[in-house]
Amino acid sequence: MATPPPEEDLFLTKRHEEEDYEEANRKREKDYSPHTHECPRRRDDPMTRIYRLTPIPTILLDASLRVVEVSDSHLAFFHQCRDALLDKCIYDISSCVPSPDIVTFSGALRAAVTSRDIQTIDGIHLPDTNSYFSLRLIPILDGPELIYMVLETQNVTNEHAESRAYSNQTYINETYRTLLDTVKDYAIFMLDTRGNIATWNSGAAVLNGYSADDIIGQHFSIFYSDEDCLRQKPAKELEVCLRDGKVEDEGWRYRRDGSRFWANVLVTPIYQFGHHVGFAKVTRDLTERKASEARLIAAFEESSKLKSDFLANMSHEIRTPMNGMLLALTMLTSTELNQQQQEYASIIEDSTSILLQVINDVLDYSKLSSGAFSLHSDIVNVRTIIDAVVRNCNPLLKPGVELTSHLPDDFPQYLKGDPLRFRQVLQNLVGNAVKFTEQGNVRIHTSFSVDEEKRDAYKILTEVIDTGIGVPADSVNTLFTPFTRFADSCTKKYQGTGLGLSICKGLAELMDGTVGFRPNPDGCGSIFWVAARMDCTDEVDSARAAGLASEETFDPTEEIRKIAPQKHILLVEDNMVNQMVMRKLLQSVGFERVDVAWDGAQAVRMVQQRPLSYNVVLMDVSMPVLSGLDATSQIRELHIDVPIIALTGNALKGDAETYLAKGMNDYLAKPIHRQQLLRMLWKWIV
Amino acid sequence: MAPTTTTKTTEETSQTKAGPPKLSDMADSIDESTFEQILEMDDDDDRDFSQGIVFGFFEQAGSTFEKMEKALYEKKLSDLSSLGHFLKGSSATLGLSKVKEACEKIQHYGAGKDETGTVDEPDQSISLKNIEKTLTQVKEDYQEVEEFLRKFYGVEES
Repeated sequence: MATPPPEEDLFLTKRHEEEDYEEANRKREKDYSPHTHECPRRRDDPMTRIYRLTPIPTILLDASLRVVEVSDSHLAFFHQCRDALLDKCIYDISSCVPSPDIVTFSGALRAAVTSRDIQTIDGIHLPDTNSYFSLRLIPILDGPELIYMVLETQNVTNEHAESRAYSNQTYINETYRTLLDTVKDYAIFMLDTRGNIATWNSGAAVLNGYSADDIIGQHFSIFYSDEDCLRQKPAKELEVCLRDGKVEDEGWRYRRDGSRFWANVLVTPIYQFGHHVGFAKVTRDLTERKASEARLIAAFEESSKLKSDFLANMSHEIRTPMNGMLLALTMLTSTELNQQQQEYASIIEDSTSILLQVINDVLDYSKLSSGAFSLHSDIVNVRTIIDAVVRNCNPLLKPGVELTSHLPDDFPQYLKGDPLRFRQVLQNLVGNAVKFTEQGNVRIHTSFSVDEEKRDAYKILTEVIDTGIGVPADSVNTLFTPFTRFADSCTKKYQGTGLGLSICKGLAELMDGTVGFRPNPDGCGSIFWVAARMDCTDEVDSARAAGLASEETFDPTEEIRKIAPQKHILLVEDNMVNQMVMRKLLQSVGFERVDVAWDGAQAVRMVQQRPLSYNVVLMDVSMPVLSGLDATSQIRELHIDVPIIALTGNALKGDAETYLAKGMNDYLAKPIHRQQLLRMLWKWIV
Repeated sequence: MAPTTTTKTTEETSQTKAGPPKLSDMADSIDESTFEQILEMDDDDDRDFSQGIVFGFFEQAGSTFEKMEKALYEKKLSDLSSLGHFLKGSSATLGLSKVKEACEKIQHYGAGKDETGTVDEPDQSISLKNIEKTLTQVKEDYQEVEEFLRKFYGVEES
């Protein structure tokens, strides 16, 4: 070993260190001069300077393992002064040597001495520095003789972290690979940047039917249908994926054997050091889930249909005994009752009529919601309908309330639509307005405009404006929802099912229209409107006047025959000959239940007794006791809306309008011809 | 079954009293399609139903004419009008067009109108006179179809 450098040549930044050093040197010269004679120490000795100034903490030992030299960096590192270490046996100052423990250190030292080879102790962790070091033990040999031993301490914290990270990575990779391979239900694989398959897990093999060897290197579009490929769906998916950071898709994918499955696919781009290196793709087989969804939907539809059917059936079933009750009630009230009994009877009567309305509403609603409701296209005279509704609602007006209607003079007289359904909607809206208006007025305002989509159609807008109680703001949204009634607080005062408006909505939608509400801008009250689309028509010709339906060639015989046995008809005819012929005619097409009234008064009584029983009334016009027209008015006053068809010998112009205005729905001119009658019945009772 | 109409022209010329009566011979008085509709209601093997109707109509017509004469005598125009309307209905149903038209006239006259029912006729005596004339005529027309129909059904007793 070279001599230590002269003290005065040392470049030391700190004065006291220099003093320490000189002092130590003096001591050394004084105490150990016999040991150091071989290498006379000089401050400017280059080797001494190297060992003292090396940035690597270094201890130089002689053959007897005593400290000969120690670097400043080592002293600084262990916060020691040189004198404390020089000439000490290394085992005595082992605490000033970085090592995991003394055993390891001495073992390594012994190995270095005996093997004469460099030894390294790795991964030394010094808790107070939180760093990792390695200690190199370098024996310096002169031939076979060991003359020095150099201990170098190297800070390997960074390398250590890296290697640890590396081993960690290996561990994680291994874990993930095992995890991926264990997943059998999902296909999880990597694509390279161009979409070629790079890895393949066992789930993918199960799902897609390809083994890893078969598929790796192929483009992933192999799983797509030809159609999807034509539309460049795979490429687009990768594009979107790169742009958005991921892409999810559901669709049919194909297995190796050509069978397909409904897949949920999630693709995520993979980046390494900021470079796009490929995509991770996860595919799930949702075939079973989709199938169960379909089953669920089917089950729901089925149950919804069952519900509608049930409602419809129940309503029918309830109506039948209701008829019996009503009949008995009518008979009861015509007996001698005292005032109290009379009162009870009228309570029963009121309740029954409400119950009937409820049942009818439910029936209508269930028909609407099951789609069983159909419209019958016919000539609509809006003016007549409005007049009829006004006439119908007039008796219900609260005292002092005025009901008016307005129709522009140039309003088309005849339109094509379903008059009965239009009337039903209007009747409901006006009926509501009248019911909820205690004072002021109810106005019906109708306007029309040429439909923008269909030039030969009109949009008919009818607004019912009232000054009634209005609608609270928080109930506006549920107005047209079935079974909701905003006026819960008013329920006792105003009766109803809460179905009326939703029925209106359904009917309006059937008519290609809408219903709606807005508050009356004049203060209190509401505006309910119905908009419907009706086609233009100019065909109110003689054929029409004779009661012919527009589809002249349509032969409904078969259809009528099917439904006839369930239908109940009231024939009102005073002329025995006509009556016999009509009965025979009706019988011949299958109507089994035809009741006969000889005059209007009897007809009113019969309808009143069984208000829900008849599907249609065929009403002669001129009859003794009570004419057909007056009978119709009376029936309408009872709020029974059974279709009434006039049988008239007076096929004069204007008569028809009178009949309709009196509340009849249609008319047939005598002599009645079979086909005309069937078409008419088809129109009104199906 | 109802006689067919396809051989109408030939049969018309060769018609003899002995031959079966044809509806087509009565085209002026009876609307074929309407009457055939009644015949169609019969069962296949007999004409009981239509015959019942027709003979019911005979009774009805007879009594209605009597009532008309009585009302005419009593100058009850409105009764005459409704009687006219009444018989008009059943005759129309059977397709007895001549009778029906006459009854309609009586209905209009009785209602204080002219024969079409469109123009007012304020003079009651004119209306009564018109009804008297029409009633005579309609009874003749009726007689004709009654005879024909009785032959048609093979029941001649009047």
